Amino acid sequence: MKTNAFLTELTEELELEVSLQTNTKFKDLEDWDSMGAMVLIGFVSDNFGITLTGDDIENLSDVQSLIEKIGITKFSE
Amino acid sequence: MGAELTAIEYVFPEKVVTNEELKIEFPEYDFKKFESKVGIAQRYVASENETAITLAIKAVEKLFANSNFSKNDVDFILYCTQSPEYILPTSACLIQSACGINSDVGALDFNLGCSGYTYGLHLAKMLIDNKNIQNVLLITSETYSKYINPLDRTNRSIFGDAATASMVTYSESNCIGEFLFGTDGTGYKDLIIKNGAGHSQFNPSATLKSYGSENYYTDNNLYMNGPAVFNFTSEIIPAFTEKVLKINKIEIESIKQFIFHQANAFMLNLLRRKIGIDKAQFYVDLRDGGNTVSNTIPIALKRYITNNNTIQKGDEVLLMGFGVGLSWSGGVIKINNLK
Repeated sequence: MKTNAFLTELTEELELEVSLQTNTKFKDLEDWDSMGAMVLIGFVSDNFGITLTGDDIENLSDVQSLIEKIGITKFSE
Repeated sequence: MGAELTAIEYVFPEKVVTNEELKIEFPEYDFKKFESKVGIAQRYVASENETAITLAIKAVEKLFANSNFSKNDVDFILYCTQSPEYILPTSACLIQSACGINSDVGALDFNLGCSGYTYGLHLAKMLIDNKNIQNVLLITSETYSKYINPLDRTNRSIFGDAATASMVTYSESNCIGEFLFGTDGTGYKDLIIKNGAGHSQFNPSATLKSYGSENYYTDNNLYMNGPAVFNFTSEIIPAFTEKVLKINKIEIESIKQFIFHQANAFMLNLLRRKIGIDKAQFYVDLRDGGNTVSNTIPIALKRYITNNNTIQKGDEVLLMGFGVGLSWSGGVIKINNLK
């Protein structure tokens, strides 16, 4: 998946007011909560077939760390 | 010969709690987004003097009022609950006497959550296969609201109280198909009330703990590890659904409706996409009532047959329950004379 498309789709899926960037920190998002975590688990499962655990999400810092968790080779510019 | 599900009734407590009312207590939370994602607009909660058997008795009375069955027809009572009236005696015995059901009846409780109704249908069928039993009254009832900490926004938003009563009867045609079961007790901590039973006593000075985003609970309360339960479901249930289809020798396209435990609309749609079920064949409606544990499948089935005029005799419905335990079970039933 192209990184830009990933950022746009994830922003829409999470219904965020601001557009996600690779350096956006999840915990800085105003409406980041357990519902966001659920939507993120669903989005990653649907698009990459990867299961994120609660601990994985707890340990995510910014969007780049999510991309690394999914696997950098699955993304293109 | 076989067994058939012939009647379902459900009741909610009178007290309704809307998202707008929860918003007053939790003003920071986006309940509009919650409603659009999780699919719940309102839930019902038992009052202080109302317990799970109060609701169960109302559901049973409604069943007798709206069907041709009399109380003397009942041969066996199966009561699925995790909100027992007492630790002992068996709550099903209290229901028998309160409802005036004949004493020539078997009665037992079984402790299961969201997989309970599908277990119950299979158990009822097995009892009827034993030729002395013709009519099994299968009851589900939960009052999880009594276990949830007032400061636990997530669980207060998701769970609601309800009770259902179903009649499973002997039938010339076998309408209750093959059911399968699964268990993974390693996940017992993911949905649990730690205190108050054998392991640890109820502790009046239990410490208030936080989890997720500003939810609070103590070990006397219900605790759910949402991501763990979500992941268990999305990993186990798609392949398990395939197994249930296979053992019933039926293809996805031939199932009139898939009725899964109504846990959360977002998760249900994720499961639907993973399994490859058409939207029209997949029931999602928990706006009114929320996640009522073992009650969601019979409530959804009753609503489905009431609101859908395309149902014909012989239509097959796949039922699937999953949750606390961790426990899951599912099977296929044929709609014949279900009311």
